[in-house]
Amino acid sequence: MSDYDAIVVGSGAGGGVAAAVLAEAGKSVLLLERGRALSFEQVGRDHLRNQRLAIYGHNAGPDIEGNPRTLDPASFPIPVGEQQGAHRVLRPHEPGYQNNAACVGSGTRVYAGQAWRYMPQDFRMASEYGVPKGSSLADWPIRYEDLLPYYERVEWEIGVCGDHRSMTHLPAYDKPYPMPALPLPQKSSVHRRGLDALGWQSLRVPRLINSLPYNDRPACIHCQHCVGYACPVDAKNGSHNTTIPRALKSGNCTLRTEVMVERLMCSAGGAVAGVKIITADGLRERISADVVVLSCGAVETARLLLNSATAQEPGGIGNANDQVGRHLQGHYYPGAVGIFPEQMYDGVGPGCSLATCEFNHGNVGLIGGGMLTDEDIVTPITFWKRDYPPDVPRWGLAAKQFMRDNFRRINDIKGPVQEIPNPDARVQVNPAVRDRYGIPVAHLSGTSHPETVRSAAFMRERAIEWLRASGAVKVWGRKPQQYLSGGQHQAGTCRMGDDPAHSVVDRFCRVHSQSNLFVADGSPHVTNGGFNPVETIMALAWRTADTIVAKW
Amino acid sequence: MSALFDEKQLRCLEALLDTLIPPDDFPSAWEAGVGDYLLRQLQGDLADLQTSYGDFLRCLDAEAQHLHKRDFADLAVEARGDLLHRIEKHQLAASWTIEPGKFFQQIVEHCGEGYYSDPGNGGNREQIAWQMVGFEVRG
Ligand SMILES: Cc1cc2nc3c(=O)[nH]c(=O)nc-3n(C[C@H](O)[C@H](O)[C@H](O)COP(=O)(O)OP(=O)(O)OC[C@H]3O[C@@H](n4cnc5c(N)ncnc54)[C@H](O)[C@@H]3O)c2cc1C
Ligand code: SF4
Repeated sequence: MSDYDAIVVGSGAGGGVAAAVLAEAGKSVLLLERGRALSFEQVGRDHLRNQRLAIYGHNAGPDIEGNPRTLDPASFPIPVGEQQGAHRVLRPHEPGYQNNAACVGSGTRVYAGQAWRYMPQDFRMASEYGVPKGSSLADWPIRYEDLLPYYERVEWEIGVCGDHRSMTHLPAYDKPYPMPALPLPQKSSVHRRGLDALGWQSLRVPRLINSLPYNDRPACIHCQHCVGYACPVDAKNGSHNTTIPRALKSGNCTLRTEVMVERLMCSAGGAVAGVKIITADGLRERISADVVVLSCGAVETARLLLNSATAQEPGGIGNANDQVGRHLQGHYYPGAVGIFPEQMYDGVGPGCSLATCEFNHGNVGLIGGGMLTDEDIVTPITFWKRDYPPDVPRWGLAAKQFMRDNFRRINDIKGPVQEIPNPDARVQVNPAVRDRYGIPVAHLSGTSHPETVRSAAFMRERAIEWLRASGAVKVWGRKPQQYLSGGQHQAGTCRMGDDPAHSVVDRFCRVHSQSNLFVADGSPHVTNGGFNPVETIMALAWRTADTIVAKW
Repeated sequence: MSALFDEKQLRCLEALLDTLIPPDDFPSAWEAGVGDYLLRQLQGDLADLQTSYGDFLRCLDAEAQHLHKRDFADLAVEARGDLLHRIEKHQLAASWTIEPGKFFQQIVEHCGEGYYSDPGNGGNREQIAWQMVGFEVRG
């Protein structure tokens, strides 16, 4: 008799959904999270230490001491972290670490909640475009239609606002969004003029935000701290206030925080027996379960599998074919900043409201493309650090007066680019460097595929075109370089597929070599769309958990 | 006020920060609390820069003495600005114990962080910098 029917490791986007679906189906579930549950006050509003601008730290974990990763110096264009032997050792808030978050809800505690469905073409990239040299581009084993019912469940049950009629790049919706789109702030009205002038599609960004009271929580009050911070009125819908409370309410789920899963325990014959954990006090426990679901995020799920080597699978669980940890991807986020004759800023949050999917596909000579959107409100220091024009003095009266005269007249357009996977962009483990628990850390190496950089350069040009059409009198923005991507949109490290030689999990996200081990996070994504990934992560986790329940 | 710097260095630091963000209708860096931000950070996240800051301030005064026979803080605003521009271009008269150009860039960054980030960090007193740029926190 096992301790639990199921253990879910990680309480982020995928883990929250998996715990809710399993617990509501009557299974006893243990949800394990290495981070803490964070209150609004604990997340805070430190403008120098948050998941948006992490100069000296961040606000949603992991703790910056005791959780290092190592990086091949060739993976990043600038020296980051500290050189130790052949590697750079990075702390979680440093560039190159590929952090998302670590707390109850993970990234969903502080995200922007842009809620995108991928397009049908995004699931069959190899068939649409062919496979470029040096890439592991492939089709998903499932189609848009397979995820559609789960996209709808996420939209209705977790709560998305938007305007389905504006989503003309997708097949017509059977069900509208449960809440109308957020009102357009001043700058989005200006940007809409640009889109109309260019004749480009103009859509309302769907968001996991209550535009009206929904699910017993209030509507957005349009504050100025959406992305990178917690919501002051709990109107932003993440795992911490939707799926995890649902799981707990069922009476079948136990949530344990500040618990690190060290490795999986295996029983003979291709099944896992449970997990070994370490508590904050350093105590070790073994917990057994009939089913284990890994939802640690793309880097940490790969790390956990690789750290769970057995006599049968000496290279790590699910790794007989050297696939675990490969194809690491995220999103290049190219764009540009413009200065306008009129006021763009009206302080009405969250800000990101308008987008175009004109260039996600069908770009001559490119593989895929990306979405472009206006952005959430930027704090003054983030503007100063990230968006300040390179040709304006950075100190003296001129700099001060530039900030005074222009902060409200400046706005940026940017968006995620569909990355072309590189099998050598990968997560391995590094036994020479240990975390605070003594566990070998993730080692990151490889870089993006050149096709990704090409798409990003193209999308940056489109952002400039949009800004100009909206009336920007001056535009600027860095050209994309080659570097290892992943970060907050990390995906791809436990690829989904029918052929175990080229994938880690099957079309229901079960690890090929194990009868009862599943992955429910961004790791199974074969490709990552030209869209922020979380709605797809949630939908796929829902489908996976539904399948587990159906066969059990 | 500070265990890190002597009075002369503090005077120099104030003049330096106020050259980076001078007063106009809105307060200068020092008036807005950037000094507090920096002194706090030099005991925290930037502790490994304590010595470099001390060296920089000492050399900055030496540079001013070399060129104008006065401490940096006693120069007119324009002369201070000119001197910092010379440092950026690595046109140095005194002998420096620290590579000043790069470190000066870091000081510029720190000054902006103190001025434009949230008051909880010690600078931007009463959100004065946010009032200046028009960033209002409602909710
Ligand atoms: C500031 C910010 C803004 C964002 N905005 C958007 C957006 O607008 N739209 C969008 O689509 N996406 C957005 N994202 C990204 C989104 O949050 C992620 O895509 C999503 O959370 C990933 O889900 P996941 O299930 O793969 O992993 P995660 O949500 O990262 O969950 C993994 C969890 O597992 C825990 N864990 C890992 N290893 C272990 C272990 N060994 N033992 C115990 N626990 C472990 C981690 O602590 C973490 O809490 C944003 C992220 C951030 C940080
Ligand atoms: S903008 Fe709205 S949803 Fe976002 S944090 Fe503020 S109040 Fe919450």
